[in-house]
Amino acid sequence: MIDPRMLVDQAQAAPLPAPVWFIELFKVLGFTLHAVPMNLWYAGLLIALWLRLRGGKGDSHHLPEQRDGCCAQTRIASFFARQFGDRLLRQMPVIIAVGVNLGIVPLLFIQLAYSKFFYPATILMAWFWFGIIMLLIPAYYGVYTYVWGLRNGGRMAKWRVAVGWCAAIFFIAIGFTFANGLSLVEHVSRWPSLWLGHNVAGATLGTALNVGDPTLWPRWLLMFGFALGTTAVWAVFDAQWFARDAVGDDYRRWAWSFARKLYTVSMLWTAAAGSWYVFGTWADDLRRTMLDWPLLPLTVATAIAPGACWVLVLIGGSLQARRLGTAVLAIGQLGVLGINAVSRQVVQNLDQRPYLDVTTQAVDVQWGPLLMFLLTFVIGLAVVVWMIAQVRKYNT
Amino acid sequence: MHYPWWYVPYLTAPMLIAVISVLHVLVSHYAVGGGLFLAVEVRHAYRTGDRAYLDYLHGHAGFFILLTVVFGAITGVGIWWTIGLTSPLATEVLIRTFVFGWATEWVFFVVEIAAAFIFYYYWGRLPEKTHTTMGWIYAAAAWISLVLITGITAFMLNSGGWATQPGEQTFWAAFFNPQFLPQTVARTGGALLLSSLYVYLHASLTAKDARLRNMIAARSARPALLGAVLITVGGIAWYCFLPPSATATLQSAAVLNVLVALIFALTIVVFFLIYLGPYRNPGWLSPGFAGSLCLFGIAAFSTGEFIRESIRKPFIVHNVVLANQIAPHEVMKLRQNGFLQSGIWTRAFVAERCPTAVVDNQIDASKLAPRDRLALGETLFLYHCNDCHAGTLGYSAAGPLLKGRPRDQVRAMVERLDDNYFMPPWSGTPEEARIISDYLMTINPARPAGPRHFMKTEGSAEEDTE
Repeated sequence: MIDPRMLVDQAQAAPLPAPVWFIELFKVLGFTLHAVPMNLWYAGLLIALWLRLRGGKGDSHHLPEQRDGCCAQTRIASFFARQFGDRLLRQMPVIIAVGVNLGIVPLLFIQLAYSKFFYPATILMAWFWFGIIMLLIPAYYGVYTYVWGLRNGGRMAKWRVAVGWCAAIFFIAIGFTFANGLSLVEHVSRWPSLWLGHNVAGATLGTALNVGDPTLWPRWLLMFGFALGTTAVWAVFDAQWFARDAVGDDYRRWAWSFARKLYTVSMLWTAAAGSWYVFGTWADDLRRTMLDWPLLPLTVATAIAPGACWVLVLIGGSLQARRLGTAVLAIGQLGVLGINAVSRQVVQNLDQRPYLDVTTQAVDVQWGPLLMFLLTFVIGLAVVVWMIAQVRKYNT
Repeated sequence: MHYPWWYVPYLTAPMLIAVISVLHVLVSHYAVGGGLFLAVEVRHAYRTGDRAYLDYLHGHAGFFILLTVVFGAITGVGIWWTIGLTSPLATEVLIRTFVFGWATEWVFFVVEIAAAFIFYYYWGRLPEKTHTTMGWIYAAAAWISLVLITGITAFMLNSGGWATQPGEQTFWAAFFNPQFLPQTVARTGGALLLSSLYVYLHASLTAKDARLRNMIAARSARPALLGAVLITVGGIAWYCFLPPSATATLQSAAVLNVLVALIFALTIVVFFLIYLGPYRNPGWLSPGFAGSLCLFGIAAFSTGEFIRESIRKPFIVHNVVLANQIAPHEVMKLRQNGFLQSGIWTRAFVAERCPTAVVDNQIDASKLAPRDRLALGETLFLYHCNDCHAGTLGYSAAGPLLKGRPRDQVRAMVERLDDNYFMPPWSGTPEEARIISDYLMTINPARPAGPRHFMKTEGSAEEDTE
């Protein structure tokens, strides 16, 4: 079998225009920010559709009559579940737009510093990678189609329901393809067999999938676990920050209760998938390095972060925390995603180092364009903040 | 050769870029011009207090969001997706050169998305002035995005002195290339014209009130005509600043001659239809008229994009990366050391398929079994030629192009590929030229006899295949 080291090009087409740390910083930051909306369409869309299904056929604007008894309680809980599903679904077109937009950042920077890994890996599975775009367009329009159906006071044509579920399945398929691609970017050792199994005269057919990689499944499941957690946090954050007068205190109480249950599932899920990933699939060298100084604190922090956030959910729920509490919780979940992104980056670097140490690439900093970008970034952020402030000012 | 080659039967991988990018430009230009249309027209409607027009514009904004934010944005990302798969070296060079240009463009994309959603979803919930300002912020951000992306795509067509003059390999020299201004002018014009055509189509289908429809027709005619003028001015400048290889290709390739004539004809037709229709006789704006106008415009745009892609040959990035993913400065090294043994993936393939044929890091053809020889010939073809040529059938297929040529002619042609100035130079050893020629002969169908049928002399061995 071919030595995989043969397959990694060592030549640089051009020097890097920024130091590797800067590229990694933006890659990790961009991925963390992208992960929030991505989590919401990944697991949130499924959950929203399920909650609507479970919530019965009534509309989500009129609370069922409150009577004593457990039946009435269940009906009210179903009503709130449906209301949250509706809210999330109505937000979904904007969430997807923001997520796609933020996804550009890590995509740009991974191609910059990790081109020698990224291009071969994605070319080996080219049809599937290309298929992401072909799935994303109908998935996005599918979400719009479902959301338009919500305009009819909650009555939804069956075909719209089917389209909504198809969109959710497409997003899951996209996630699976991403997990394939990014695990292949990391595991060069998988390239030779996939290439030789799917080629014609040395040119790849682009039909390989990295399903034989033991890390693929826990990676994929791990991200789904995080997505459940982000959806849980979104439920309470949305209730306190965006719902405002549209919901009452009962709904907010329900949101905390829902978040508590969902985040518990998320925490258990990530604990199981994470343990499988670390103890079941990592090579001994990698595990030793990650569980030894100086990386041990990072590994431990990554492992306990979902648990710490779960504690925040429990505290927030028992205090019925309002805006400040949910903001702290949201920052906490962002931290969970962020520290996971940092660990993923460290593991990726360790896995790739035997083939090519990206930090040794020549650098010729483009100072002028770099300053142009940073300046534009600050101004652009200020403009977006100003626009949002206008919306808040005139829509309180 | 630096990266694995993706074999796409019949179509060839780069044609996927063509499909995605043509679909994208048809929407992305509307995303720019349509933003300007909405900003200008909403301001006008507020000033005149025309509620019916405001209602129409609200509906148009929904259509605009649905088309540009979903299809436009995803196909834009799709171009990235596809170029990385089909032209990895070119993409790598472009990203390393322009990453901060792209990053800056991303910032404007963020502003665009935020402004577009606020403009649409908070319609009627913001003061008129603030609402109009949101429209203008969107329009400005979208146009700056166009300028930034044009700097990069224009560089691909004419890199100026960037690759050839010492000290010129800077971001700014690359960005302000000779094609930057002409293409910016032409694309701005294209955005104005195309958005008017979309507006006409949308208005003809949704605006039931004749007064409203006539007003929309008349008001959008001026930007459309201005767009046509800008396209013409930018187009002339575009032609003047083409690199010599592109000019020569444009003048000599029959299909491009036809397409250039077609684009002129379509532009003239669109110009006169707008002048005679919406400008002089707004009442003509029926769904049939608007649909035809839109189809003509889309045909002109698609033709223009196809021409722009075609005349870049033999480069994919002018003077920087050849169409077959080789840097021009690598050619002589490849001729010396061998294409197969210099390429990362080809070398691995040789090592796997016929390890005994490699002697002192060179391929010893005498040690190749006939089947291996043909397999390596196919490898050479796929990695060296498949960017632009399918094999036996499909896009610009090599087999039919070679039809009936004898082996010595095929080999001579391979070794002197760049005698055709739009072809990349042969980048292998003479032995590799023989190997690829052997493979090409297997996909080379017999020549149709044609006039030779009548030129046969007695005892001639000429084969009549008709």
